[in-house]
Amino acid sequence: MKSAPGLVGIASFAVILLVWESAVRFGWINPFFVSQPSAIALSLSRAARSGELWHNVTVSLREFAIGYGLSVVIGILAGALAGRFRTVEYALDPFLWFLYSAPLIAFYPIFVLWFGLGVPTVIAMTFLLSVTQIATSTLKGIQSVNPGLLRAARSFGATDRDLLWKVVLPATVPMMTAGLRLGIGRALMGVVVGELFGATAGLGYSISYYGALLKTTDMIASLIVIVVLGVLCTQGLTAVEERFDSWRTF
Amino acid sequence: MDARTVVEPAPHIQVESLTIVYEKPKAAGALIAVSNVNLDIARGTFVTIVGPSGCGKSSLLLSIAGLVKPASGCIRVNGKPVMGPGRDRAVVFQDFALMPWRTVIDNVRFGLELQRPPRLTGGDLTERACRYVELVGLKGFEHYHPHQLSGGMRQRVGIARALAVDPEILLLDEPFGSLDAQTRDEMGSELLAIWERNKKTALFVTHGIDEAIFLADQIVVMARDPGRITEIISVDLPRPRTAETTDSKRFIEYRKQIRECLGREQS
Amino acid sequence: MKFNEHSPPLRGGEYYRTLVSTITVMAFLAVWEFAPRAGIVDATFTSQPTRVVAAGLEIIRTGGFLHDVSVSLSEFALGFTLAIAVGVALGLALGRFPVLRYALDPPIMAIYATPHLALLPIIVVWLGIGMQSKIAVAFVSGVIPILVNAMAGVRGVDGSWIAAARSFSARESDVFLKVILPASLPSVILGIRLGLSRAVLGVVVAEMYQSQAGVGNEIMRYGSEFRTDYLLFDVLLVSLFGLTATSAVRALEERLWTAGE
Repeated sequence: MKSAPGLVGIASFAVILLVWESAVRFGWINPFFVSQPSAIALSLSRAARSGELWHNVTVSLREFAIGYGLSVVIGILAGALAGRFRTVEYALDPFLWFLYSAPLIAFYPIFVLWFGLGVPTVIAMTFLLSVTQIATSTLKGIQSVNPGLLRAARSFGATDRDLLWKVVLPATVPMMTAGLRLGIGRALMGVVVGELFGATAGLGYSISYYGALLKTTDMIASLIVIVVLGVLCTQGLTAVEERFDSWRTF
Repeated sequence: MDARTVVEPAPHIQVESLTIVYEKPKAAGALIAVSNVNLDIARGTFVTIVGPSGCGKSSLLLSIAGLVKPASGCIRVNGKPVMGPGRDRAVVFQDFALMPWRTVIDNVRFGLELQRPPRLTGGDLTERACRYVELVGLKGFEHYHPHQLSGGMRQRVGIARALAVDPEILLLDEPFGSLDAQTRDEMGSELLAIWERNKKTALFVTHGIDEAIFLADQIVVMARDPGRITEIISVDLPRPRTAETTDSKRFIEYRKQIRECLGREQS
Repeated sequence: MKFNEHSPPLRGGEYYRTLVSTITVMAFLAVWEFAPRAGIVDATFTSQPTRVVAAGLEIIRTGGFLHDVSVSLSEFALGFTLAIAVGVALGLALGRFPVLRYALDPPIMAIYATPHLALLPIIVVWLGIGMQSKIAVAFVSGVIPILVNAMAGVRGVDGSWIAAARSFSARESDVFLKVILPASLPSVILGIRLGLSRAVLGVVVAEMYQSQAGVGNEIMRYGSEFRTDYLLFDVLLVSLFGLTATSAVRALEERLWTAGE
């Protein structure tokens, strides 16, 4: 019974694809605007065979990996320091808040100024977009550790190092991984938008490229690849979360 | 009113002129939780502390545990002043305070891990933890996580964890406060059964008058504003305590006595 | 020490927080201002606070930016209002009728998983580089959070309230209007707040990508002309707008949450 929503979901998708395809074939919708599943599938296989798809995917993935990887390391570090030392938290607070709420993508021209067009700028954008999410989640995770647990540990003679490694760190994991998961979405956005503007390769670039040629089919094909990648990453992280967070009650 | 019971040999726990003060975070001034309390507790006795909310009973217990620093006064265990938590004392908390990511067996091990008893390997610790898991009646649940257990079961883990470090003094801070009435009664009897085995010195804070009488050799009655001891009652009921005990005339008399004492202080 | 929760809270905790935050911001501004003067960095790349302020004053004085700002504002307003209307209506409907939800949930979740700005080029292909595409972007960016949260709001209504209403023989429309709607309002407002920043971002980025007017367009122009100070002023302006709008909504949210207790 648990797979019922899953099955309905798949069925729903299938129906939509069917309706979509038929609508175009029967001339109800102009394929120029939305293309059709069959054409998209063709475009994808063509791109795969010619190596274009893999090239774009690898470029985008590499930018994502570097940008997101950096933000994970720095984000967790910053969040942990801020959680441990109130002064650090108060000092970082205004910057985190600004980075989180300001339209960072508007800074794109400045990045171009600093790093030039291409990969470095994309990585910078990806990093900035996701680092605040991860830092904030880590910080919140540390701050939300149940003080009763700390007290219990102390009652058994825990040292500060004990408290850190045996209580705070494990307790922070749920919120931290939630932040990591949300950070993926933002990082992906950074990659795509960065490539939209000024890249020479990558999935976002290919959307922009085909967009200039008004080739909707190929655009949607690239878009689907992006979505699939995003879903895969997120689901992957969720699986890791579930493996380690089986004790979560929230 | 301060009362003192002196029993030979020297008392296990001595509380002298204890005052505990908390800063009020948002307001000026401070909150006096406990004011000039004096108390001696003999080795191997089961003492319950009962009183209304805010009378400082938990603060008193936690300062004996070494988790709360008094503003003035002194607490001694075996004649030596208490400077912080120690191996001779272990606490059982009202909210269980189990590490949610640890299994039952790992939670019971937790205290041992932190205390790092010399000459015991990791395997030794696990073996010891296993014994206490069995003692509290949770055999078979070693690899469960707290969220899979009922409230009563969780508190058994808490008790096992405290017993596993083999303390001289067991400190219980309203341990059954989060449980429903029926479970509470069951746990009370089970706690006594476990306690009978090794007769550690036990200090048990509670809201419930009946619970206080049922478990205790001695009852410390406290009042609030300021937190202080108003009466110490020696309980002369035979052990082991059973359901019949609660119906006995003596029990009812004690209940009346405590109610009157509490009522007096309220007016 | 932080781990000792029995230690008294920091003396005058709130003051300390403001103090540290202010000091770090001041320090940052100071470094930003004086590093170029000391020759450590080129002001063309980083600008300086004083320059940004000067640029801002210049912009405001000449009033040239008014046109761009009004274009952006109208794009945002139109698109976002549409997003609220559609998002709330659909969200409530989906929350109320499980059948609809099962049918439409997967595609909605798929759209939720898509970085909404990746849809930019396609929207431009559909609607051109004029205002319509920006309005569409504002709509697409804003509608999903509103929809998802409205739906969650309806589903999250305490079942016992509904049962209570029904026990008083309320008609279904009454149950909807008098119980479900008010109860889901806080979630709806939350969704609006989340969608708001996304919509603002969407409009600005869309203008940066392809447009003839608007703040984003201006930003790109300044960028290509290396006029960092003007660029930064515009960016800060947009940030300020987004922040004010979200703060306003948050204030509304707080009123509703406390009222709903």
